[in-house]
Amino acid sequence: MTGAIVEAKRKGTNWLIVPGIVWMALFMVVPILMICYVSFWTQTTFNISSTPTLASWKQFFSSDTYIGALWTTIRIWLIVLATTFIIGYPTALFVGLFVKSKTLSTVLLVICVIPFWTSFLIRVLAWRPMLGKEGAINIILMKLNIISQPIEVLLFTELSVIIGMTQIYCVFMVGPIAFMLGRIDRNIIEAARDLGAGFGRIFWKIIFPLSLPGVVVGAIFVSVMVLGEFATAGALSGRKVNLLGNIIVTQVGSLKWAMASVTGVILTVVMGIVIAAFLRIVDLKREL
Amino acid sequence: MESRTLKPVLAAYLVAFILFLYGPFFVLGILSFQQGPDGGPQFPIIEWSTYWYRQIFGLTPPSRIAPLPVGEALVRSLVLAFMTMVTSTVLGVMSAQAFRRKFRGSTFVFYLIVLGMMVPGVLTGLGTSLLANNVIGISRHWYTTAFATHVAYTFPFAFLVMLAILNRFDGSVEEASWSLGVNPWTTFRKVTFPLIFPGVLSAMLFAFTLSFDEFPRSLFAAGGTEDQTLPLAIYGTFSVEIHPNIFAFGVLTTLFSFALLSVYGILMALSVRRARKLAMQEDIA
Repeated sequence: MTGAIVEAKRKGTNWLIVPGIVWMALFMVVPILMICYVSFWTQTTFNISSTPTLASWKQFFSSDTYIGALWTTIRIWLIVLATTFIIGYPTALFVGLFVKSKTLSTVLLVICVIPFWTSFLIRVLAWRPMLGKEGAINIILMKLNIISQPIEVLLFTELSVIIGMTQIYCVFMVGPIAFMLGRIDRNIIEAARDLGAGFGRIFWKIIFPLSLPGVVVGAIFVSVMVLGEFATAGALSGRKVNLLGNIIVTQVGSLKWAMASVTGVILTVVMGIVIAAFLRIVDLKREL
Repeated sequence: MESRTLKPVLAAYLVAFILFLYGPFFVLGILSFQQGPDGGPQFPIIEWSTYWYRQIFGLTPPSRIAPLPVGEALVRSLVLAFMTMVTSTVLGVMSAQAFRRKFRGSTFVFYLIVLGMMVPGVLTGLGTSLLANNVIGISRHWYTTAFATHVAYTFPFAFLVMLAILNRFDGSVEEASWSLGVNPWTTFRKVTFPLIFPGVLSAMLFAFTLSFDEFPRSLFAAGGTEDQTLPLAIYGTFSVEIHPNIFAFGVLTTLFSFALLSVYGILMALSVRRARKLAMQEDIA
């Protein structure tokens, strides 16, 4: 009889999911559908009406500015993906594999995460006095007599956007990779070494393949965030670098809702393709 | 492994990496002590002073540089983060509780919820403001539309934290309670909730900090200047000339975050200690 009561009580919990579903449907799914819907509305200078038209779509694909923003977004995404991976992987390798004590590796990860408790915008802004013509990097390099003239390309260029984004997002690469590396059975590495494999071979045949799911998770995190970016690009490029996100912000600012929506749909499609591609490389459900 | 050569190299690399992560903050911290009101947001430091800190609290005589418009924005952000924290945690606990039993479409619902943390804020923000502004025709405010997007963003985090906690949860204590005739709500309050409390704290911390710092969603979904949250107020200063007061403010918000983190740490330690005490009492009995 007890079993029956317990069974009944357990069954009674299904309704608990309803508020969550309703909230996500109303404030996640419907808004995304709205973007698709409004992208076909008719836009006039000061007004927008629900008469369906393809005008905004045609305008997007015939304008160099918008197409340019699409390519800039993809270029910066690829570059930042590469830099976060290249800069993050050795760190993850050390924290996840070389540090023997679990406590130390946790402490090191916490040290990497601490900057995230500073406001995102302040983190972006902190690069300005660092990279500027009279910034810290130029002063240090000039004091060390490495350069005689300040490097001016450091700030308000695409380079500064890439440096800023790399610093802000590389921890999202380090975390998942370090996690996967920490799970590698040390005996496999031991065995390979006993059989005479050098480090290079062990790395490419064992360590790297086993860390790949972590790389994919990190890449998904970084991609989702970089593709939807606009604040870093705006603040560190002096509005010279325009991403799809920046286009959306400016279009909404001038009440061009239809054009903002077209850009939003394109961003969604790009994001969907990228995530689907990553999930094809590694079957996450099986690996994790 | 050639760890004798590789390990020191990687250790040195790690130090460089941490410098890269922290460098900008050191520079920011140093420049926040720039002389005021004439010192600019760059080197060299003309004279060390706390002028910009005093300016934030309105303790300096008025000058050509307007103080940061952060007072009311801070209150709005705190209230919004608190509302978001409560709603997200309640939704997260409820949904994770429902997920303890397999139900039809649970995989679909799982992805529906997780979508909230994957879709960029620009898109949720834009969509929500389209829905409110163009389709329904209501005005946007920080406590309505922005609040809805904040919850849609933080609820998945709370949900995942609670799911991880409830996956390791031993259901037999609840079953014991039910068989003794205690109703489900009392069982939840007296048995389940105290046991999952550390998870609830983590979910609350996630929701609060994410909402407090949320920027793209608020940018679209909150209304005009009378609806500015703190990140929006900071963003507003980006477009005009930057002064060291924003650096000083950055230092202060970082300290605030650490205070919040300490409170979380203390509450966590207390709840762990209480759980241990209870376990000991049971052992004695």
